[in-house]
Amino acid sequence: MKISHWILALSIMISAVSCIQKEAPNAECDILTVTLPDDDLNRSPIIENDRVTMIVKNHVNISELAPEFQLTPGATIAPPSGTMRDFTYPQTYVVTSEDGEWNKTYTVSVQRNNIINLKYSFEDVKTVQTLQGGSYDEFLSVTEDEQTHRRDTMFWASGNPGFALTNGKNGPSTYPTFQTSDGKVGNCVELITRSTGPWGLMVSKPIAAGNLFIGKFDMNNAVAKPLQATRFGTPFTSVPRYFSGYYRYTPGETYQNWNESAKKLETVPGKLDECNIYSVFFESTDDMEYLDGSNVLSPDNPNIIAVARLSDSQRQATPDWTHFQLPFVFRPGKEIDPDKLANGHYSLTIVMSSSADGDFFSGAVGSMLLVDEIEITCQ
Amino acid sequence: MAAQTDRPSSIDKSIALGLEYEVNAGINLGGASPLPLPVEIREINSYMPLLNMQIGANVIKWLDREHKWGIKAGLRLEVKGMETKATVKNYGMEIIQNDKKLSGKWTGHVQTRYSSQQLAFPVVGLYRINKRWDINFGAYVAYAFKNSFDGYVYDGYLREGNPTGNKVTFEDDAQATYDFGDNLRRFQWGLQCGGAWKALNRLSVNANITWGLNDIFESSFKTVSFNMYPIYLNIGFGYIF
Repeated sequence: MKISHWILALSIMISAVSCIQKEAPNAECDILTVTLPDDDLNRSPIIENDRVTMIVKNHVNISELAPEFQLTPGATIAPPSGTMRDFTYPQTYVVTSEDGEWNKTYTVSVQRNNIINLKYSFEDVKTVQTLQGGSYDEFLSVTEDEQTHRRDTMFWASGNPGFALTNGKNGPSTYPTFQTSDGKVGNCVELITRSTGPWGLMVSKPIAAGNLFIGKFDMNNAVAKPLQATRFGTPFTSVPRYFSGYYRYTPGETYQNWNESAKKLETVPGKLDECNIYSVFFESTDDMEYLDGSNVLSPDNPNIIAVARLSDSQRQATPDWTHFQLPFVFRPGKEIDPDKLANGHYSLTIVMSSSADGDFFSGAVGSMLLVDEIEITCQ
Repeated sequence: MAAQTDRPSSIDKSIALGLEYEVNAGINLGGASPLPLPVEIREINSYMPLLNMQIGANVIKWLDREHKWGIKAGLRLEVKGMETKATVKNYGMEIIQNDKKLSGKWTGHVQTRYSSQQLAFPVVGLYRINKRWDINFGAYVAYAFKNSFDGYVYDGYLREGNPTGNKVTFEDDAQATYDFGDNLRRFQWGLQCGGAWKALNRLSVNANITWGLNDIFESSFKTVSFNMYPIYLNIGFGYIF
């Protein structure tokens, strides 16, 4: 009996009970990609956790579409991929995981160019239940086509789904973005810059500015690439001239700057937080279908056609409801191509934030922005 | 040997009573491991035993004249620790901070560091095969006076709540830390067996396996969905008076 024998005996014992088991079948049930035959899509489909939006070209007959889905390996979908269905109204699909334990119901809808409303009063919200047991508001606006009476729902995007990860069982008014009854008329949207607590600090996202925008919040990027998580824009087939509405703004008490290299918030004495409200009209190209937090206001972004934004002085404290009317300022040399416009190659976004530097996790906790009765006026 | 003549008379008396005394020191190599490995663990990417020191003292009572059979009891001050990196798939995790709970299924990498400082009381039966070899088998109870179990997840993704929940990717330097140190059990017990080889008259080389039989976590703690047992090989030296 030598020590090496003991070590051998121990390793045999441990390995006998510690073998890596055969991999379990997949438990996930995701739609990964959606395709339509004949190049019918105008741009990439928007795939969220339980919603798919296919943005189709103008000529497409949406009452007969047979989308093909690519799923998590091993998962199945009902009705099956390639089934012809009438997408005049949203259709549901159920995806079941490979292990059969989990399934998810997706709402798949078709969006034609320019379904967005031009006026928003923030009267309608859907309460989203989080998996942690809480809930938050999701703003929506419904448009009805005068001839067909077809109703389309546009969901506003916000960072709420990201905040939900660490907000436990709390309700809508604890989130950065929620509905309140203190509107200019009826209800309005309230945006508050929140601390994300120890968790947010852990993933270097110590504050969350209240935000609301037209586009999509991509949860998948929320932690690793937050600037890419805010995807701005939706197809727009008119030329916008003015962006108007009402707002109130109260900056929070202490402005803090996020020092990325030191991983901490540093108080900036004397600095007051600013809000941000703007709309951007831009061209969607294959390499840039949407704008995101890294380029939505970039002066050198070649896709941006025109921007309507609160001026520096308008972004300061504004305790009473104040009207704003912002012209879309066209960038030098930018012109509208009527064919592209008609075919849905231009997009529009509206963005509101309670802390202008919120995308870089700087701002004052408690900054509060209320916005109501906004409107885009077109040519 | 000269040393034998220097022996204090009290020890001579002890020998007459069939008692021997021993002090020992060594290191612990091993880890806290689920048995068997759960299906969620796809690969152990790295394992570091850490430098886990152990010191102890024992009393041996021989039960017969020939000193064939005996009982050994004592106490042992030791550290049990390890550091591992594993790749997991659909691994349940839950982090609680300030009463807020984040739970979900993680697929990706997990780093874990475990360290427990313990005072253990072993009692073993002893059998002397020959002049040079002893073997022993018995049990121990231990009190962990300082515990830590922490780590982080990285390079992977979380499904919020369950596999149908929102998918959140962590990559580059994005990571989420966890700390379950407060949920470790204070009292542990287990079996141990081993052998000693007398290299010199007073000096022995020892090798013992301690096999924990209760989960390192308190039974009320459910976040780590499987039990983990501390299994260590102790290698060291003993000095017999």
